[in-house]
Amino acid sequence: MNIKIPVSWIRDYLKTDIAAKTLANALSSSGPSVEKIEKVKEDYVFEIEVTSNRTDSASVFGLAREANVILSNLGEKSHLVNPKGIDLVLEPDTADLLNLDVIIKDPKLCPRFTAIVVGNIKIKPSPAVIQNRLMLSGIRPINNIVDITNYIMLELGQPMHAFDYDKIKGGKMTLRASVEGEKIVTLDKKTRKLPKGSIVIDDSARLIDLCGIMGGANSQISKRTQRVVLFVQAYDPKTIRKTTQSLAFRTEAASRFEKGVDLDGIPNALSHAVYLAKTNANAKIASELIDIYKNKPKTPTITLNIKKLNNYLGEEIHPNLALKILSLLGFEAKLQNESILATPASWRIDDVKDDVDLIEEIARIYGYQNLKSEIPKGKIPISAKNPLEEVIELKKALKFLGLTEVVTYSIISKKMIDLTNPKKDEVVELQNPLTENWHTMRPSLLPSLATVIEQNQYLKEDLKIFEIAKTYIRAGDGLPKQDLMLALAISSSDFFEVKGYLENVAKILKREVRLKPISKKDPLFGKNQSADVFVDNQQVGTAGILDSKIADFFNIKNAVAAMEINLSLLYSLAASVKTYKPIPKYPPVIEDISAIFSMKTPIEDITQTVKKTGAPLVKNVEVIDIFQDAKLGADKKSVTMHLTYQKPDRTPTQEEVAETRNKINNVLEKSLLAQIRK
Amino acid sequence: MSGQIRNVLETAQKAIESVSSQEQLEKIYIDFFGKKGKFTSLAKSIKQTPQKEKAAFGKELNRIKEQITVSFTKQKELLLSKDAEKTIDITAPGKKTAIGHLHLVSQAIEEIVDIFKKIGFSLQSYPEVDWDWYSFESLNMPKDHPARDEWETFFVKSKPDNLLGSQVLTPHTSNGQVREMQRVKKPPVRMLNISRCYRRQVDVSHTPMFHQFEGMLIDQNVSIPNLKGTLDYFAECFFGKQRKTRLRPHHFRFTEPSFEVDVTCGVCLGKGCRFCKSGWVELGGAGMVHPNVITAGKLDPKKYSGFAFGWGIERTIAMRTEIGDIRLLFQNDIRFLEQF
Repeated sequence: MNIKIPVSWIRDYLKTDIAAKTLANALSSSGPSVEKIEKVKEDYVFEIEVTSNRTDSASVFGLAREANVILSNLGEKSHLVNPKGIDLVLEPDTADLLNLDVIIKDPKLCPRFTAIVVGNIKIKPSPAVIQNRLMLSGIRPINNIVDITNYIMLELGQPMHAFDYDKIKGGKMTLRASVEGEKIVTLDKKTRKLPKGSIVIDDSARLIDLCGIMGGANSQISKRTQRVVLFVQAYDPKTIRKTTQSLAFRTEAASRFEKGVDLDGIPNALSHAVYLAKTNANAKIASELIDIYKNKPKTPTITLNIKKLNNYLGEEIHPNLALKILSLLGFEAKLQNESILATPASWRIDDVKDDVDLIEEIARIYGYQNLKSEIPKGKIPISAKNPLEEVIELKKALKFLGLTEVVTYSIISKKMIDLTNPKKDEVVELQNPLTENWHTMRPSLLPSLATVIEQNQYLKEDLKIFEIAKTYIRAGDGLPKQDLMLALAISSSDFFEVKGYLENVAKILKREVRLKPISKKDPLFGKNQSADVFVDNQQVGTAGILDSKIADFFNIKNAVAAMEINLSLLYSLAASVKTYKPIPKYPPVIEDISAIFSMKTPIEDITQTVKKTGAPLVKNVEVIDIFQDAKLGADKKSVTMHLTYQKPDRTPTQEEVAETRNKINNVLEKSLLAQIRK
Repeated sequence: MSGQIRNVLETAQKAIESVSSQEQLEKIYIDFFGKKGKFTSLAKSIKQTPQKEKAAFGKELNRIKEQITVSFTKQKELLLSKDAEKTIDITAPGKKTAIGHLHLVSQAIEEIVDIFKKIGFSLQSYPEVDWDWYSFESLNMPKDHPARDEWETFFVKSKPDNLLGSQVLTPHTSNGQVREMQRVKKPPVRMLNISRCYRRQVDVSHTPMFHQFEGMLIDQNVSIPNLKGTLDYFAECFFGKQRKTRLRPHHFRFTEPSFEVDVTCGVCLGKGCRFCKSGWVELGGAGMVHPNVITAGKLDPKKYSGFAFGWGIERTIAMRTEIGDIRLLFQNDIRFLEQF
């Protein structure tokens, strides 16, 4: 929560000579953070961030109180002055008392209720000082009575309200939880249909207040108002929050009530308001004070062990200094058996509950800048290498292979999800998407990579990109399956380029991959030029040419070769271990075999056959040329292989090589119907 | 006979001297010493040589072989030195293999992991779609607590779990805190969690997806100075030798005390300038792990304490590269990606 406060206003209560900038630094380093300082004429306006646990300092007086502690501890001269009129005794000024009946149906909804009626009001603009201060704080002045309510909220942090007494029918107020279907027109002229259980006030005829959030239009102050109910309360924070969330409507008052207000400060706020009404509107007190405060909360005593305090601070602090800091902050604190016993001030009850809360109070005022800075000395835990560390290495390797990394959103559009043709029960859909474009968690990285290619295709002909990120697949009522995937895509490319990268990746990751013909059509890949990728007997991914439907969807003009590999799965499979094999002492004999095969015979079958037949003399088979030619016949291809014949104890003889070669040729002819080229 | 020999020698030497490239030289070598080469044929004729001349012939053959070989070596060296003497334009482009680019986010992650690895923090990973309990409730944020408003959380359509609540996209890496305590079971814990996080907001400095990193240390007697030391170490490694950090009071439900971490401005090194206003730039959040969180992690807060810190990767990148609009990082324009 950010508030804007003119420094001159703070100086009404904080008596010190120090400059505004020094004050800002002191506040920021030990208390609420001054985010901006703006010079306005002779004055400075602070924009201050107040954290949600410290609504007590989200006010002029609260800040003065906080600053006074910090400055005192720094040895600066400063003291605190109370706002005028906060100790005003609220006794009627007239003999004819006006009546206001108050019924609170459930004290839990309203821990403290105060109100008083003032008469003899003359509605007019507020004095210039008040108007000015409100404007500098970002609030529009309205009239002398309404301005008092805003002024009190800023000055003391206590929201309040003013009703036109004569509009409260029957002089009666009943505070209760709303029932199903109730409506109220609030001050901003909007009709609000209330959720059941909101805190409301009705007079004898209708709802007049949506408590803690905004007053009813029917009882508001007007130019003709003469008698006013000044009204200061606290409400159950949870109930206020429920209503604001349900209505999606939050006022500054509501956001303060949601976090809780200082119950003991309520009478002060009312007294101060009456004082201002008297000064600015000639008000006369016309009723008895109403103050309903049944269940005063217990103030807890917190025990803080001195040793624990010193452990946190990393040094020994004198207990008396700790006690002094706490008492400056309004705690009642004493020392007892190596421990500090402390009771928080009324405005800190909701915030300070445990010993660590006291440690924070002592440490921040003592000054974080005064504590040492030292690297932890403890034992270093031993833990197994996380795959994510390997991913960093993999990314670097891919970079050196010429690929560029992209980072795309994990949340994708409904249209892109549909491209992946998902099963309904596997989709991880958002309940509250931001827009149609960020709708569902993606089950594949490929549609996102296709988007990147679409976007860049006219900037660069041969885009080679990759991404490593999680994908999300719903798994019943449990958390979705969130596997880490590697996807890469190459524009204007073919199957064998991506296969080459796949083989490189396999080598980097020390796993052996095999391609198998696709077992079922993947919606992202074309049918004819794609393959399932296997490690051991597990499918770890798919590689091939993106389906033309995908290319069309993204308006991509040339074929995109792509692959997607499940790294979580792949890392879980054992890596191949390298063992030493003696380097051959004798040179091999290297020979080529060329043969003509049917187009349908897979290269892998051919090389496997050669290897198997040639073993143990043939140590390596490498395909060096594949070509098709009309002369060979329409469905034929010529394949040339480089064979390495090798023996551990000597170079193979011509005869040995010839024997094996003949055996290979025979098998190729018989089992693969090859025609050996001589 | 000796005439033939002299003839071979002379032809060889002439041929060798006349060549102007290594390839031609190789060819000539084969012409003479190949299977059907001139010298080879001559050598083969030894069979027909009368017995008593054989020895002399053999000797002669060896002599010219040596001479030809010497000529070869000389010519080879000459050709090599000629190549090396050719003038070239050293400013013409080199022959190189294409190298790609790592995304700025990955570069920062790598650097951060390296820095913290040296002081014993290890990288861990946790779900990005996680239970409400890990993302909020175990972090001392009960249901409907106003502190939850600070995160604009995405919810996933799914059946809530009785104990763990709804499924959310983690709005921060802190969902790893209790998970890590549960994983390790017995401190010390030194964890680094880097992950994609998600919040429902988009503007110049926010994207609905971003990366956060978070460090957590749990041990006996962990102090605020330990946190300060760790942050100073990071700032020096990541931003540069002279950079320092400071802590300011803040509030997070899952740490107590809680801090905001600033680092001295890179331009003025803390003196104050127009880039930073007071000499400091905001970096992220930190704090001493709240005892309730340690309890949620099934550890004893009387025995163990700890600290945690974290901030956005994109923020640190923006601080170093002066990228004004964070959304650029995820637009994947190749002209942007290839700059880094």
